[in-house]
Amino acid sequence: MAGAPPAVVVEGLSKTYQVAEKAPGVWGSIRSFWSRKSRDVHAVRDVSFSIAAGERVGFLGPNGAGKTTTLKMLAGLLHPSAGELRVLGHRPYDREADYLSRITLVMGQKQQLLWDLAPIETFELNRAIYAIDRGDYRRRLDELVEMLKLGPLLDRPVRNLSLGERMKCELCAALLHSPQVLFLDEPTIGLDVTMQEQVRRFIFECNHRDGATVLLTSHYMLDIAALTPRLLIIDQGRIRHDGSLESLTREVAPERRVSVAAVDPRLAELGFQEHQGRMIRTVPAEDTNLLLSRVLALNPLWEVGVEAPPVEEVIARVFRSEADPRVEARDRG
Amino acid sequence: MNRVLDRAFTFFRVALAEMVAYRAEMLIWVLSATMPLVMLAIWDAAVADGPVRGWGQVEVTRYFAVNLVVRHLTAAWVIWELNHLIRTGGLSTWLLRPIHPGWWSITETLAAWPMRLVILAPLVLGLILWRPELIFWPELANLFAFPLSVLLALWLMWSVQASFALLAFWIDQSMGFFSAWVALWGLLSGYLIPNALLPLSLGEAARWSPFYATLGAPVELLLGEAPIATTLLLQLAWSMLSFLLLGVLWRRGLRRYGASGA
Repeated sequence: MAGAPPAVVVEGLSKTYQVAEKAPGVWGSIRSFWSRKSRDVHAVRDVSFSIAAGERVGFLGPNGAGKTTTLKMLAGLLHPSAGELRVLGHRPYDREADYLSRITLVMGQKQQLLWDLAPIETFELNRAIYAIDRGDYRRRLDELVEMLKLGPLLDRPVRNLSLGERMKCELCAALLHSPQVLFLDEPTIGLDVTMQEQVRRFIFECNHRDGATVLLTSHYMLDIAALTPRLLIIDQGRIRHDGSLESLTREVAPERRVSVAAVDPRLAELGFQEHQGRMIRTVPAEDTNLLLSRVLALNPLWEVGVEAPPVEEVIARVFRSEADPRVEARDRG
Repeated sequence: MNRVLDRAFTFFRVALAEMVAYRAEMLIWVLSATMPLVMLAIWDAAVADGPVRGWGQVEVTRYFAVNLVVRHLTAAWVIWELNHLIRTGGLSTWLLRPIHPGWWSITETLAAWPMRLVILAPLVLGLILWRPELIFWPELANLFAFPLSVLLALWLMWSVQASFALLAFWIDQSMGFFSAWVALWGLLSGYLIPNALLPLSLGEAARWSPFYATLGAPVELLLGEAPIATTLLLQLAWSMLSFLLLGVLWRRGLRRYGASGA
């Protein structure tokens, strides 16, 4: 992909909402008639990044961090308050038909499927909307039906499908037109573990086979760990990290958890503590080898494990460490 | 051109399937919107002792029979759907597609016609059996102008509703404004009272209003009670105005769209 222009370019992007405020109770309602108050909420502030064509990027952040607002701006649903953004060379908020034909946004909590009809009717509607050639449509639909195992679902009314089945049909509807950029907002929300795994595999295949660029938000760390080599972490509207999960782990959780499947007083002398029948000690990553050699010198037959902190813990640490009181004070001002 | 035809045909086919899925609901809607029959009973009794301003029982029956059919051919429900979509963020799924969402809504409105006509047919047949003199042959020019007038009335009804719905981009309780429109519409459109039976000056003023253009105009046009050219021009003028208003509200509203909940 060297030399190819980036699929997504975002520079200094900001979005500020004006939110009406009303005191609670009847008196608050009456007062709001003549003195309406509102405050600015800075959902996204001065965000910049770019994504290469064909890249898979995870977009992480706590609730209200600005992830979905950013995705909505990238998909052309929202006008930015400031900054520049280009996706496939288009300004998304112009909502040109050519642009909309080349992207998709899947929202885990919103659906485009027609509720009282079978999914195949929505697929047909999208074929006409995206002007997909009938032959291409048939081929693409067959592929998606095969990949997502939708065969038995095509003719059943959407209202009779389970959440997971609906989500798979949503993905099919959103990908029929072979978009070049996939914006996925919580695509596995509410799904059971098996279904999450199927959706993950499907997204990976889409990227792998079609070369589609993927920007994914999810609260499930497994989605991120399994799918996206690059992470963008956003909090309070600002980008806090842009890099791989490994680099993030090195940066914020540079320790390793060494556990030995034995309970031995000599391990306690090395600083290990007993936990559920194992001896455990956490050390800085660079000290791991030294500790391992000491442990194995005591008994080379012991089963020894070395783990980095779980992804959830790493991310939680990022958000804890980034709760900057100066930023909050500026927001209130 | 093929693409346009394919879109139109597919939209209509899917929308028709949707209407068939909602057939029970549609039956209730149609039967609950039979106010012209109630008004027919009232006006029939009112003119039983002698014509009022030239309107006898035959004229009243013809008027409300046509009124009933036109009312259903020009019925729209875009205000409830669009208002809901804007307030809940559901509009997003349509904004992501490379087509104006209005096309789907208009197609849905037209796709309801076959179902409405099937349900209305026995009602109109019943009226004919009750009062056979109801049958009349309009002038050829009126007969040709009638479908055009109905389409303009439908567009006006749809676009007025859509305009009220778009107020949801700015205010939470936009439906309240529509209630005021409905109240005036009931009085001035000819829905409850034929325009000719309103107090004279009010009737004359109402004849130039958008309310009349949405219902009374096509009804009176078919009955030969309204001049063809003036009536169509009036409807066309209101339709163009509503088109412009709708365009401005849509463009400005989208800039404010918060895609909440989406």
